[in-house]
Amino acid sequence: MGAVSAGVLLLLTLVAPVPAEAVATLEPEGEAIPFCTAVDDPDYYRIPLATTRLVAGTGQTTGEAGLVFPAASPFGIAVTPDGSYDYRVRFDVRRLPARSRGVFVAWVTTPEIDRVRRIGPLDGGRAEGPVEWNKFLVVVTMEPPDSPAAAPVDDQAMEGMDAPGGVAGSTPPWTGPVVLRGMSRSGRMHTMAGHGPFEQERCAKYGFS
Amino acid sequence: MRRGFPARLLTRPAGSLALLSALAVPGGLYAQAHDMHGGHAMHGATMEGGWIMPPMDPTMPMLPGLETAVPPVSAWLPGEGHDPSHFPEARPSTPVDVPDGGVLELEVTTVRKRIAGREYLMYGYNGQIPGPLIRAPRGGTIQVRVTNRIPMETTIHWHGIRLDQEYDGVPGMPHPPIAPGESFTYHVRVPDTGVFWYHPHVREDIQQDLGLHANLVVHDPEAPAAPVNREEVLVLDDLLVADDGRLIPWGQEAPTHAFMGRFGTVMLVNGATDHRLEVRPGEVVRFYLTNVANARTFNVRFGDAAVKLVGSDQGPMEHQVMVPSVVIGPSERYVVDVHFPEAGEVEISNTIQAIDHFRGLFFPEVTPLATVVVGDGGAAPAGNGVVTGVAQGADDHGAAFRTLSSDADVEADRARLREHFTRAPDHTLVATMRHRNLPNAIVLSMEIDTLYVPPMEWNDAMPEMNWLSTGKQVEWILREEETGREGGEIDWDFRVGDLVKIRVFNDPRSFHPMNHPVHIHGQRFLVVARDGVVQENLVWKDTAIVPTGSTMDLLVEMSNPGEWMVHCHIAEHLHTGMHFHFSVAER
Repeated sequence: MGAVSAGVLLLLTLVAPVPAEAVATLEPEGEAIPFCTAVDDPDYYRIPLATTRLVAGTGQTTGEAGLVFPAASPFGIAVTPDGSYDYRVRFDVRRLPARSRGVFVAWVTTPEIDRVRRIGPLDGGRAEGPVEWNKFLVVVTMEPPDSPAAAPVDDQAMEGMDAPGGVAGSTPPWTGPVVLRGMSRSGRMHTMAGHGPFEQERCAKYGFS
Repeated sequence: MRRGFPARLLTRPAGSLALLSALAVPGGLYAQAHDMHGGHAMHGATMEGGWIMPPMDPTMPMLPGLETAVPPVSAWLPGEGHDPSHFPEARPSTPVDVPDGGVLELEVTTVRKRIAGREYLMYGYNGQIPGPLIRAPRGGTIQVRVTNRIPMETTIHWHGIRLDQEYDGVPGMPHPPIAPGESFTYHVRVPDTGVFWYHPHVREDIQQDLGLHANLVVHDPEAPAAPVNREEVLVLDDLLVADDGRLIPWGQEAPTHAFMGRFGTVMLVNGATDHRLEVRPGEVVRFYLTNVANARTFNVRFGDAAVKLVGSDQGPMEHQVMVPSVVIGPSERYVVDVHFPEAGEVEISNTIQAIDHFRGLFFPEVTPLATVVVGDGGAAPAGNGVVTGVAQGADDHGAAFRTLSSDADVEADRARLREHFTRAPDHTLVATMRHRNLPNAIVLSMEIDTLYVPPMEWNDAMPEMNWLSTGKQVEWILREEETGREGGEIDWDFRVGDLVKIRVFNDPRSFHPMNHPVHIHGQRFLVVARDGVVQENLVWKDTAIVPTGSTMDLLVEMSNPGEWMVHCHIAEHLHTGMHFHFSVAER
């Protein structure tokens, strides 16, 4: 819980407001990607994206990141060799500004932001890629059009990097302001200490503040 | 004498207002100043009614007020009151060929089973755990005369086999269960090749858990030998024992562990904790995996060895594919080829990301299951394959292993059935549950706990709550979405030749959502879509995992007349209501 909060705080402090200027990308309101994950509970595998309002023209921007398991998995569920869930994350962003001075790029990152994967630039408000962490944040940033982060993704498997703005290896770093962010539903799981029947149990005893 | 929950914790106060009042009052129900870890002293102690508390992480607090609570059913253990030395020691499984028209005598008996240096009284088929590996030729009919020598009724369900329904082993459909001391002869028609298994359909949570399970392999005598050097059966299981090694009792009137099923603490492969297989460098081994555990889904890794998935419940994969691990739910089967190019030891393990619900954390958990010793010295030539009976040579199958082939029959099935993949389902089932008379502490904990529920429960993350939940309080439900009918109220009638699309939605909003391995008796099906995505690699199945929050579209080929059961194969879910049956009439 503490780590997650720290991660979100770090995300917000990493960015600064950027004024909208007249440039290129026209992002029409796209239709929602048709999810059939749940008959009547779309919430379970959908992550709502909340605007940071840090970029002019994105105050009404909304969207979601949906999770599906790869169709190629021959099992009832897809996991990595270490047992982590192996999802495909699909960004579907609506009401992006018709004009902006940068390229909107989708990312996923661990709550601690010690690992980041670039999903890629939004195309028609959409982007899709792999994520194999159990708890994670989903992020859309605005990157300068000429930055490597704004380039199309050639090989998503190679898009991991150690930290935003840090050692990037062969992958471009994340530099732009955060436009939208959300948290995987697993982020709601936190210590039960201090709650309900465990209200007398101190959080600090379990490493939480 | 049996004892249930403390009366003050027996029921939830009517309405949330009463609940909030209880919480808000200083010194109220949960404002307790005692050590919430003190109850761990009960671990290993014999509690009231003969109960033994299951192991639990001592750093986790216990549910307040429930430190000494026991399940509100009678504790039951096999062979109580008998001298264990009077029972024979269990033997490992041995293959037995039963030709078309052949008869196999099968005795269900109590045996002594040594596990990790300790002896337990368990049950066996012909004194074996797992029971005899039956090999039968496709298209034949074998007779199995079963004599029940355990002190409870039993049956045998021939899991996955499209046999005549009267021999399917479901009690009362139509034959009554086999009473102690009685016999019954099953006529088992085996029309399909594949790796099937057999087990009781009476209190599976007890009988199957105690050792009544084994494979039945149906082979095609005309089929060419597979390009492998050796065959190996891996029967995956777990057994729940206390810290001091004693068996945790089962519920007599109703199952315990009704929430999640009974996860074991000791992993077993072919009935042993230290299963070892010796092979020679360069060999390709075909493993036949069957999950006979009550509740646990395994993620099986073969070290860093290359693993090729070649088949599942009812035959070959549409496309062979390399996989990093094998996810196998209760009662599923998978067939994989594994290449061992170099000398050394390869550990087969269950590799998962477990959950610590109390701390709200995932954590990696790797549990050894078995060891493959790759060496020139000890490994004897394989001889005849333990599964197919076909002679296995010392040829180099490395090139064949690296070739990923497709199965023409399943590809033809895809082409034949494609139009059904995306059409609307004929029926939709919703998996959910209800509860009554659960202690408040459990209800409150669950409400916090289920802020997030994972797609899969890989481990028993709440051993105390799970243990205390029984079939008296928990009812698992399969509900027909179109009509609202539940369980036995569901009324489905089909005819042979019908292709029925059944959508199963695992509702994540239930009180305790959990993955369900859904099993359909007597028919076979394809999982054609998962969460709205058409599947790229089909295989005929009889059991499929439906993760929490997920939707599975099953295309069932109604090919076998009779009354057939649908149920969750977590034994405790089956025996707490999660089943119904449908009929298939001759056309």
